[in-house]
Amino acid sequence: MKGLLKYLSPFAPDQSGAVSVLYDLGGITVICDAGGCTGNICGFDEPRWFVRKSAIFSAGLRDMDAILGRDDRLIEKLKDTAQKVDASFAAIIGTPVPAVIATDFKALKRMAEKRCQLPVITVECTGTELYDTGEEETYMELFRKFVDPDVKEKENAIGVIGATPLNLSSVTADETIRHVLKEEGYDHVYCYGMGDGLDTLKKAASVKKNLVVAPSGLKAAKYMEKTFGIPYEAGYPILDKKLKKQICDLNGKKILVIHQQVMANEIRKEILKYHDVEVTAATWFMQKKEWKQPQDVMLKTEQGFADYVAEQQFDTVIGDAYLSLALREFDGEFIHVPHFAVSGEYEHDNGEIGI
Amino acid sequence: MEREVYYITAAELAKRGKGQIPDELLSSKHLIYSSPATLSFNSPGAQGFGVKRAGLAIPGSVMLLVAPGCCGRNTTMLSKIGGYSERFFYLLMDDTDIVTGRHLNKISKAVKEVADSLEETPTAVMICITCVDALLGTDMDRVCRKASDYAGIPVLPCYMYALTREGRVPPMTQVRKSIYALLEPRKKKPTTVNLIGEFAPFLDDSELYDLLHQIGVKKILEIARCKDFEEYLSMAEANFNLILNPEARLAAEDIKRRLGIPGIELTRLYQIDKIHKQYELLGGALGVTFDDQKYYDSAKKAVDDFTEKYPNTTFAIGECMNAGSFELALALLRYGHQVSEIYGTVSDENFIYIKKIAELSPETKIYTNLSPSMLNYDCSDSVADITIGKDAEYYHPDCVNVPWNQERQPFGYSGLRHLFEELTEAMERGEQ
Repeated sequence: MKGLLKYLSPFAPDQSGAVSVLYDLGGITVICDAGGCTGNICGFDEPRWFVRKSAIFSAGLRDMDAILGRDDRLIEKLKDTAQKVDASFAAIIGTPVPAVIATDFKALKRMAEKRCQLPVITVECTGTELYDTGEEETYMELFRKFVDPDVKEKENAIGVIGATPLNLSSVTADETIRHVLKEEGYDHVYCYGMGDGLDTLKKAASVKKNLVVAPSGLKAAKYMEKTFGIPYEAGYPILDKKLKKQICDLNGKKILVIHQQVMANEIRKEILKYHDVEVTAATWFMQKKEWKQPQDVMLKTEQGFADYVAEQQFDTVIGDAYLSLALREFDGEFIHVPHFAVSGEYEHDNGEIGI
Repeated sequence: MEREVYYITAAELAKRGKGQIPDELLSSKHLIYSSPATLSFNSPGAQGFGVKRAGLAIPGSVMLLVAPGCCGRNTTMLSKIGGYSERFFYLLMDDTDIVTGRHLNKISKAVKEVADSLEETPTAVMICITCVDALLGTDMDRVCRKASDYAGIPVLPCYMYALTREGRVPPMTQVRKSIYALLEPRKKKPTTVNLIGEFAPFLDDSELYDLLHQIGVKKILEIARCKDFEEYLSMAEANFNLILNPEARLAAEDIKRRLGIPGIELTRLYQIDKIHKQYELLGGALGVTFDDQKYYDSAKKAVDDFTEKYPNTTFAIGECMNAGSFELALALLRYGHQVSEIYGTVSDENFIYIKKIAELSPETKIYTNLSPSMLNYDCSDSVADITIGKDAEYYHPDCVNVPWNQERQPFGYSGLRHLFEELTEAMERGEQ
């Protein structure tokens, strides 16, 4: 049955993706919910929550707020908080509650900007979409709203779009990316939404190039290309060394790689460096047609996933081991590559995997 | 710019009274800061026994969460706890479902498919629904009856309505009612008693068991100790229920109405004289006298040992723990210690304690975990030798802490004794 999960649990939703992009930017983030969605995000989908503070709040909606559409109360609460917390902007994130009552986010944004004297963005998440949809929309809102068009002078800098713990399965991956890209000769590496704040995002027009590390960053990269002439490329410069070693042993195998599309493609590229084998990249998330090969697949249902793996008779599956719960019949090799948006597992600084 | 944290002293709050609780202490008046300290408090499914885990208290039951994916996301964490991975199932709603409610037509089939996929037929399928159905006004009782007829097994609703957290029937109250809904009238056994209100058993050495045995009770049933469905059903034979959590009042009323089992409510207390008084009152209601002297002495010894070794200790007290913040603070003050800070939820019921705290320690600062200003909290501005509660630990990361949020439930003298033994051990560890 479509939508029925018997072995897996749901993947990170759109509002988690939105918050993930906003987390380090120094704004006030208001999740337009009753409390449960914020609990899911802060308690599970945002591993940075337990490491460093961010001004993330629940709107604390109650039934009568939703039934009567009391948006004015939400704005008053936001205004009150803006007086108590240092913030350079505010973001209001949707959830199933405003989706059901058809909240007018454009009106909410106008009211909030007027009352709070702060720039405000809104992201219309519904809780039914996946995290990358929320990330994509948030990047777009941020780049449209905040990139300073008057910054003309180019720096020897590269922008990184798509770097979030949900995509990179690490809370310190931005540091590794910075290190690798500086080694390549850049003076500055701007990881929007991971380690860098709003001031850095404002000068995004000054970079020489954007690196897109996950599909959720592609739309914003295209916007920057079209608006400011900044070229972009896709790539994942921090592929795990242990995985690279494991890849060496895959000669003659029929392989399925499951991850966010940029990472899956990078793993495929690495495999094909050493072996002339058949590799299919699959994803539960966005699949951009410009990065897709004919054999690649998009996974939709738990049963469909199990049937596909069985039909294709893969020898090796590379992906988050949590997915193996759905592969009851699969007796090949499963190589674990954590994907936080799937299992909630991420890699600690010491290389250990945690939740 | 330096930003302030909102707090109010006990004296000032007591002076204001119930009618003038400052807006900063009322969660409906501001955005809610879901700090790591308060996640379990604000999110009914987040941590510990939230609605999802609690809903599986019936032995042999499974849960089908019918909701947008976001509502089930953190269940991944629960699934990794032993025994739960094969008890959670999901029917994910899409955009059209949340507008039209068409997902309701799929539930019966989904229940059957889930039941058929299991080696053993579940004793019940709990359908957990969330804010979306609260807003759609779904008649879940009807949906469950239909699903039950179709699948041939009991199907019960489980409401994870965060929107109604401060309403007349909050989610954790509703789920306590749901888990007893399968009990059907049986012949009463005068020597059987139910302990209701918690989802995990009380500590094995709780005097409650001995005291009940003293008066002739032979069988004490708790849902968390029921080893199978039949034992769960035998809870309908009880002579009376002891209600050990106020959130179980609705369940107790429902049991009384349907099964004719009366209930007596007891409160978890940490003031030793009040514990004794409560047992006297219970004895009075039952027409018996409890001999609680040895339990009293044992608890008193633990309190005295700690107080002698660490006199005039300063505490900071949270609310993510197995105690009422204000009652525990008052108990500690009455045992001769100091309470510098309380992170708690001020409600009408707490004013009885707040007034007494104000008399003994007027300068005690009262914070609310949910205030946005708690983002600015800096422990260097405060004094505490030891903290109690996971939230208090978050605010004072370098301070000695007793989380006191264990799943096995403390109660009465035994709870008091264990708390002070843990406090002593924690202070000893801190000294080392």
